[in-house]
Amino acid sequence: MTAFTTSSAPGVSRRALLRGGLAGAGLLTLAACRSAADTATSAASGSAGPRRGGVLTVGAGVDFTPSLLFAQSANTLVQRLVFNTLTRYDDRLQPQPELATSWQVAADGTGVTLKLREDVLFHSGRKFTADDVVFAVKNLQNPARSAQLRSTAAAVTDFRKNGDFELTLVLAHPVSNLFDLFEFMIIPDAVSVEEAVAGTRLIGTGPFTLTDRKPGSSITFARNEKYWNPGRPYLDGVEIRIVPQAESLLSSLRTGQTQLSYSVRGKDVATLKDDPQFHIKQYDTGAGAYYIGANLTGEHVGDKRVRQAIAWAVDRERLVQQALGGYGTVSSAPWPKSSPAYSEANATRYSHNPDKARALLKEAGLDSITLPFAHSNEPGSTAVAQILQYDLKQVGIETVLQPTDSPTMQKQLISQTMPALWTLSHGFAQLHPATLAVSAYPFNEAKNSSRFSSPAYTDVVQKAWNRPDSDGAEAKALYQQITDVLLDEEFVIDLAIAGLVEVAGGKARGADLNKFGYLNLDDAYLTA
Amino acid sequence: MRTFLVKRLPSGLLVLVLASFLVFLILRLIPGDPATSLAGPDAGPEAVAAVRGRLGLDRPLLTQYVSWLGHLVTGDLGPSYAIGGQVADLIGNGLGATVQLTLGALLLVILIALPLGVLGATTRRRPVAAAVRAFTTAVLAVPPFVTGVLLVLLFAVTLGLLPAGGHESLLDQPDLAVQYLLMPAVCLALPSAAVLARYLKDGMERALAEDYVRTATALGVSRRRIVWQHALPNALPPAITVLGLQIGQLIAGAVLVERIFAWPGLGQLIEQGVIRRDYPVVQDLLLLIVAVYVTVQLLTDLVYAWLDPRIRWE
Repeated sequence: MTAFTTSSAPGVSRRALLRGGLAGAGLLTLAACRSAADTATSAASGSAGPRRGGVLTVGAGVDFTPSLLFAQSANTLVQRLVFNTLTRYDDRLQPQPELATSWQVAADGTGVTLKLREDVLFHSGRKFTADDVVFAVKNLQNPARSAQLRSTAAAVTDFRKNGDFELTLVLAHPVSNLFDLFEFMIIPDAVSVEEAVAGTRLIGTGPFTLTDRKPGSSITFARNEKYWNPGRPYLDGVEIRIVPQAESLLSSLRTGQTQLSYSVRGKDVATLKDDPQFHIKQYDTGAGAYYIGANLTGEHVGDKRVRQAIAWAVDRERLVQQALGGYGTVSSAPWPKSSPAYSEANATRYSHNPDKARALLKEAGLDSITLPFAHSNEPGSTAVAQILQYDLKQVGIETVLQPTDSPTMQKQLISQTMPALWTLSHGFAQLHPATLAVSAYPFNEAKNSSRFSSPAYTDVVQKAWNRPDSDGAEAKALYQQITDVLLDEEFVIDLAIAGLVEVAGGKARGADLNKFGYLNLDDAYLTA
Repeated sequence: MRTFLVKRLPSGLLVLVLASFLVFLILRLIPGDPATSLAGPDAGPEAVAAVRGRLGLDRPLLTQYVSWLGHLVTGDLGPSYAIGGQVADLIGNGLGATVQLTLGALLLVILIALPLGVLGATTRRRPVAAAVRAFTTAVLAVPPFVTGVLLVLLFAVTLGLLPAGGHESLLDQPDLAVQYLLMPAVCLALPSAAVLARYLKDGMERALAEDYVRTATALGVSRRRIVWQHALPNALPPAITVLGLQIGQLIAGAVLVERIFAWPGLGQLIEQGVIRRDYPVVQDLLLLIVAVYVTVQLLTDLVYAWLDPRIRWE
């Protein structure tokens, strides 16, 4: 640097100046005695099988929103790291014990008695008791928490404690999705809950404790040494890195800086699937089902024949291959294969048939029409919208694309001010089918973004929800009736079911997601 | 000098007040609102209205503006709506990283532009002059996000020499921090370095064409001495003004570069704030950037005046 001061300038040649500059730049890198590229990928020592140690780095496309801690949102990785739920579903949607060790549902479905673990401590050192379950349910009943399963939580009208580790939840009426609530409801610490939604302190009973949060950048956790699950977690810690740019996320996975991600775009996953250093796992959760929504008050789309024409016009196969990199299942119904409402006939009710689409438009007295078509301005969503735009054009439906940012789209969804058509993805089909129709805004029988209402739909949804069982023959018959309404009315035109895709680098093993996309790292470890 | 400074201050303050009003207004004109973001993806209108009331967004705009300014004057930046925590803490956390990145880039701008500018103006070899021209044109033409991706592909993915993204504090782990800093700083510095190099080159060429240079040459003064002791000091003042303007460019460019390299600075914070319509975070940050910009311009004028006495006697 002194080479550039005027006092020493006379003694410096142009060549020396250039040499000095280059040497300085070289020194900057050579001065480093450790490689940041290597230290980023440190892991536990040893070779095969689960082992203790190491910090797992998880890449997320969007940051965690503290105010949405108790809601289903774009980032739900934090919930099951810090907190626990009462039960957890297995692959067959059967509840398994977590903080609740056993349960007994009343024969008439108006109550459930839970027995709780007695060896659980909050990170603050306080003992977990039945009072915490009471608080958790009441917490979800609070509208300020924006919990999608609030209607199910609101069905709990009374709590009867039998000691500190047993209680009965009294229900106003039977609900078929009670265990969806237990899968969804994290158990927070009543003392610090307001700090939790403010993002300053997270106290739970889960496997990791929050150690640092840099908004928009990273969230770090350390092992909870007093975790109730013996010998778990294996990891010393977890770092969630926020990497909004898809290319950067891909680079950090390739270089091993990030070892696990659920935010990789489908087309990027396709580029990794043949690389032996990556393990790719698709969750059949149906957590992201792509759909076209129709606002029934919009021009032309109030006629269900137009909506059905759109359903026939779309080439779902091409959409899955080109926009999702093949990671998705073509479906005209919202249900994933794991759902009790799933049937092959429903999934294939609509296929790519432009002639049928044109015939329906003709029947509706229309030849060619132009419709506004909103979509999220994210690159992946824009690609989906462009593919759909091309398909619709082939049958005489011109669309004017309206790229919209997330907050605006959300506002339009809630205020029912969407244009005639929009495309987004919805969740909640991965659980008991009644949850979709009472909790997911696009399908909500009471009020939805499409402004669709019908007494028949409301009636069948309420029947399916207000019952003690969720997968008996009668329940399944009701689910079929719901599906029949959806496939006939097509106010939500389902296209493809795309569960979350896990991309794990060579060293990461044993990560898991629950049905709401909560990251469970109890059994996760890093190989040598 | 003091008189010079006193004359400049009121215009700086006026810019700040106008900027505060514009920032406040433009944010409200963007569709979407914080209450919707905060209430969650499936909230009903009642829940959204409750959140709006809690945040005071149902008050008249002028009341909201005056309230914000009032708190700002007393140093209270208030809580963030969506990101979580106090705005002052969020800015404090991001400031170090952004300063680290901006200063690193600034250092590189000087290191690259000074030799290139001098070389471009003084070389007698055509290929060298052409190479300097080509380099400055190329780095000006290629946008930083392309440069960033290319750098990551080459140095992180292919060669595995540098981390693809992330950050370490220079104070905690300087050896690792330099490696994290290198690619984002180069990516941010290149366009500004090219602009500065061109200004320097033009300034040097003008200075070298002056009569006193011919006189000095005739008197037998060495070329090296003419370049460094006579021409360069005369070419510096306009280049310093440009450098001041480039600092603003660096701060603006940091938003993009921080995104590419997952760098936890103020750029990331602004982006998060805009995406979530976190008004307090975005308002305070943008005003801070305007204040930095105004201060840098003021300092640039001062340095300029110090270098050129004619300016302060105007």
